[in-house]
Amino acid sequence: MALPRLIFITGKGGTGKSIAAAALAVALARRNPVVLADLDRRSSAARMLGADQNGRGFCRVNERIEVRALSPRAELESFIETIVPLKAISRRMLGSRTFGYVTAAVPGLEAFLMLERLRIMAGEAARDDSYLVIDGPASGSAIELLSVAAGLGRLAPRGRLNRLSLELERFLADPNRFGVAITLSPEEAALREAMETASALDERMGIRRVAAILNGVARPLFNRAEGKIAAAMGEHGRLVARRIELGALAERARRRLTSTGLNVIELPMLFTESIGKAEIFELSRALEPRLA
Amino acid sequence: MKARPLVLADRRLILCLGTGGVGKTTISAALALGEAMGGRAVDVMTVDPAPRLLDALGLTVDSGELSDVELDGIPHSGRGRLRAMKLDPKATFDSLIARYAPSETARDAILENRLYQNLSQALAGVGDYMAMEKLLELCADAETDLIVLDTPPAREALDFLDAPRRVLDLLNSRAAALLGASTGFFGQSLKLVDLAARAVLAAFDRLTGLHLLADVQSFVSSFDGMYGGFAERAERAHALVRDRSETLIVVVTAAEAQRVEETRAFIDSLNAIGLKVGALVVNRAMPEMPQAADLAKLKIPSELKRKLRRNWRDFAALKTRQTESLSALRAMVPDSAAFVVVPDLGREPARLSDLAAIARCLSGIESGDSAAGRPD
Repeated sequence: MALPRLIFITGKGGTGKSIAAAALAVALARRNPVVLADLDRRSSAARMLGADQNGRGFCRVNERIEVRALSPRAELESFIETIVPLKAISRRMLGSRTFGYVTAAVPGLEAFLMLERLRIMAGEAARDDSYLVIDGPASGSAIELLSVAAGLGRLAPRGRLNRLSLELERFLADPNRFGVAITLSPEEAALREAMETASALDERMGIRRVAAILNGVARPLFNRAEGKIAAAMGEHGRLVARRIELGALAERARRRLTSTGLNVIELPMLFTESIGKAEIFELSRALEPRLA
Repeated sequence: MKARPLVLADRRLILCLGTGGVGKTTISAALALGEAMGGRAVDVMTVDPAPRLLDALGLTVDSGELSDVELDGIPHSGRGRLRAMKLDPKATFDSLIARYAPSETARDAILENRLYQNLSQALAGVGDYMAMEKLLELCADAETDLIVLDTPPAREALDFLDAPRRVLDLLNSRAAALLGASTGFFGQSLKLVDLAARAVLAAFDRLTGLHLLADVQSFVSSFDGMYGGFAERAERAHALVRDRSETLIVVVTAAEAQRVEETRAFIDSLNAIGLKVGALVVNRAMPEMPQAADLAKLKIPSELKRKLRRNWRDFAALKTRQTESLSALRAMVPDSAAFVVVPDLGREPARLSDLAAIARCLSGIESGDSAAGRPD
């Protein structure tokens, strides 16, 4: 099945969401134009690819990858500006505590507007035959964000918001338009969180899971017999044991993920002194054959 | 890289803050255990512990109240005790409403309000606020020497520490005026920006068919008479976390390049709201590397020796990457703040003894120094 227009990346903190997003953008860009966006205005993924921040939310990595820095807050601000067209007033509002009341008073408004923006961008991607890669928040916040459509729909049983939230729900449940990729490292806590996220998306929310991206898979180096010999070697033996353990953890994660029907994409552990553009390109080549 | 050990003296509260996925809950539990081992009466409140950590503390998923942690098998001074609990925001909020509601009618009006029922997902910060609330409750127990508070993961420190103010903003009668009561209802004229904000909400309601204004207003007015109690508690929480003789702020992070910028932004946001970091704890650091030269002396097959060299090079690269992150993190906190590096256990903490091992690193008994990289 073809990829959805929008691939939303989430996962436990520290499991390589931005790295995966950057690598995915590079891999996809070999075939189609790509928009790489995040929701916290940090542009971590784009910065790994060497894109400069220009402070206005738009820049490019190259002619194939456009970068957008989105945030729920910015969506709310532009919404306010459309309703209060007088710049002098809308600006004062945005800077005042009153504005805090507004956001507190309308639950989920920022998140709702954010999702609406993603829906519009996915539509544009379909029109331009491009792809949209979102470097999303950690799984807990991501589930919260993606639940907002249904939540607001329940709050408003009729009217325009209800129609909009239905449209948003249809968008999120449309396997051609929206899908989630879950990153994880082979450690137990990350694996558990990935499994929980995967089942929440599937069973509770009806959202397509594009893949589980298993980061940091160390290439096996030692066989069992060598492990035994090394066990008596003190400090170096400890490093050997660690290497073997990393392999075993990855193997277990792979098995558990596959057994739930998830498409598992493995990315190698990079034993490098830094992670920059070259390393991201290496990862993108590991990803590419899995995107066909 | 010199560590500066964590000195708690007679502080009564430790706040563990940080972004997600760094092992904040583990560090909170270890800090609490360490002090209990040293003979103090300690309570630790966790927010979202991994199942293994729950096991280690002898908790279950719905341990909403304090329960004693068995210290058997852990060397400790006899007077110490440790109690642990897992925060249940909804139950805490319900009991808070029950406590402050002026009447049963008022209580039921709130509990049945559709906003309140959606509050846990809908209104950001409720979980955070309830953590603060529970904290005040724990503080009221004079028998307790120290409270350790784990916090929900946050991009910005503000999310957690600002929660009482955010929730109060909604309950504030000025907000009520803004949200629906006639202007001048509270004897104060609304400013231009307030009118604009009201226009925004009205437009939103019209646009959406949500009719939230009426709901928000009835929600806010059902809190009438309770506001004082809430405001007073929020004020106390606000003062408590800023009292540097009582409270130590611990920021937990990990030695990864990705975390450096994140941590810097986090510490900046703490400073911006008047909170000084008392300690920076870097969790799960790689242990020190052995000498590569040792490999030459080993009498083993050359193929295995080649693999051992390769393995050493691989891990040495990771170690270099980590040491750079550690130096950057070290430079982020002033000399007056503690800086502690906790080596990776190589597994998830599953037993109390695992937490005790981490506690020894935190107190400097077993320095994480050797694990942290080059001496300076």
